[in-house]
This record gives sequence, structure tokens and C-alpha cells, in this order.
Amino acid sequence: MTLIELGLYFAQLSLLTFGGLSSVIPEMQRYIVDVKGWTTAADFVHLFAVAQAAPGPNVLFTSLIGYRVAGIAGSLVALIGLCLPAAALTCAVAALWEGCRDSPWRGVIRRALAPLVVGLTFAGGYIIATPHTPDWRMWLIALATAAGMLRARVNPLWLLAGGAVLGGLLF
Amino acid sequence: MAGGVTPARALAPPHTLAELFLGFLAIGARSFGGVLPAAHYVMVDQRHWLTPEDFTETIGLCQVLPGPNIGNAAIVLGKRWFGLRGAFVAFLGLFALPYIWMLALALLYTRWAARPLLSAVVTGVGASGAGLFMATAVKLGRPIARKPAAVALMAGCFVAVAIGRVPLLVVMPIGVIGGLYFSRRRML
Repeated sequence: MTLIELGLYFAQLSLLTFGGLSSVIPEMQRYIVDVKGWTTAADFVHLFAVAQAAPGPNVLFTSLIGYRVAGIAGSLVALIGLCLPAAALTCAVAALWEGCRDSPWRGVIRRALAPLVVGLTFAGGYIIATPHTPDWRMWLIALATAAGMLRARVNPLWLLAGGAVLGGLLF
Repeated sequence: MAGGVTPARALAPPHTLAELFLGFLAIGARSFGGVLPAAHYVMVDQRHWLTPEDFTETIGLCQVLPGPNIGNAAIVLGKRWFGLRGAFVAFLGLFALPYIWMLALALLYTRWAARPLLSAVVTGVGASGAGLFMATAVKLGRPIARKPAAVALMAGCFVAVAIGRVPLLVVMPIGVIGGLYFSRRRML
């Protein structure tokens, strides 16, 4: 039962995933933690952190959630659920796209989506950094990392390592 | 590993499904810290499956449409070269290694989660990852931050989703309609 629910939820989320998984993180957190109670808010942050430490497309975070909810089967159902509907749509549109290479609508659509992706990506950061009530330590680490990424152009893995050290010291 | 400028070479799309699988396996294997650079390196620089323009065009299409960008690109390219079998094989190749790595990490984490230090470290990494999201949002937002309509849409999305906890299924259609309205009137 849970597997079906999981698969259907991620399949529906699939078509809302604009600009990568980051834009649906807040929605996932709302559903998984608030509505379903499949994980706690703190656990959600921890799973997100584990996903950050892994290579590969960040959609694998969904399979981690699936794994926590329903084991290996859950991890596959969540990943396939999130990927399949969008992939089918993309394949269909790819064929059409070739036909309208110069259509002005392409620019119109791209410009329309850009601000939404920015707002949702920032919301993703906010939600992860604020699992319960605001905690200055999480915000300190988040803002320091963001500043490091924007100013210093170092490999993000070093910033995550810095976050690990600060976490170990502060919490 | 040959870097830098390589002379233009004839395009050589994969000939067999095995070649396709191994190519995407290589992308997954070298994707620490970002899949996009790894995909570009393997498909354009190393194996000459695609021209740089073709690569950008394909990724651009996948960015406009919903779904995970690189996952979508794997499926579109696999299908282009070998039909549905190709789509399946490319997807499998891309995710195989990162998936196993992720499960291994999850098992390790579950086993040691009770240790307070590990929990603290993992919380720190999570907060740090949140910071990476914020930085990405700032980078993406900079070019459009001077346009009032764009700022209104960004802020509206953020408040509705992060503070109001409104389901995305409600926010996204409204946002897309608003975005298209402003975009058509050249306000974005």
C-alpha cells in the first residue's frame, strides 16, 4: 500500500520538477514529514545530507527517502516514479522541439520559468536549514557555505566538508 | 586524459548498447560534485558522441521541461540512438553506480546514527547543503533581479512554498500562468 502511495506521489511530483530536484524539496518535505509522517523533520535533513555526500544526479535523494519508507523496493519505486512521467513527456516534446527550433515561444517559456525556479530553489535551502524552529547554528553554517560558494569558487565538496566540521563542533 | 583544445573530430555516436551503457556508467562514476561537467566531458570531449552545440541544445531542452535534467538527457539520447532499449540502457548506466554508493552510505548511516557526533556532523553537512541551494538560487537570480515582475514571482513562490507550505501542485500552475503573462509582455 505504502509502495503504491509512494510511487503515485513521486510520479505526480515528476511533472512539477522544473530546474532539477531542488525546486521540489520543500514540497517533498511538506508531504513526507508533515502530511504522512514517514520521517521526522530532523531525519529528513539527515537523509538530505547523506544524499549530498553521494555522487550522481541529485534525484537519488528520492530513492533515499523511498529506502527509508519502504526499503530497497521503495527506493526503486520512488526513483522510477520521479523519472518516468517527465521522461515520457521529454521524449514526446523532443520530437516536436526539432520542428520549432526558431519559435519565439522557447524564449518566452524559458524566461517565464526562471523566477519560479529561483524562488523554489531558495525555498529548498530555507526548508532544509529550518527543520523545526529557526536554529542560528544551522543558518550560520548555511550562510557561510553560500558565501564560500559565491565568493571563493571552491569545489562544493570542500564546503560540505567544512559544514561537517562546523556541525561536529556546534551541535 | 587529454585536456585542452582537441582538433575537431568526426562525430562517433555509440555503435552498440554496451558502448552506450559503459559511457553512461563512466558519467555516473565521475559525477562527484556535479553530473553536468562529467556528462560534457564523457560525451563531448572524450567520446565525441555529440557536438558541443548539440549537447547544450539537449540539456537546454531538458531544463525547460520538468524532470531531472541529466536523467532526462540520458533517456532522450538513448532513445535517439537505439530507441526504447537505448533509453532504458542509458538510464540504467547513469544511475547504477551512484545508486549503489547511495545505498551503502544509507546503510552506514543507519548503523551509526545513534552516535551523537555522527548526528552532529550529518546535521552540519545538511545545513551546508542548504547553503549550496541558497548560493545556486542567488547565482540563477542575479541576472533577473532588476526586473520587478521577476522579483515578485520569486518572492511569491518562496513565501507560498517555504512559509505558507502551500502544495506545489497549487503554486506551480499559478506561477507558470503569471510567468507566461509577464514574459509575453517582455517584463521578464
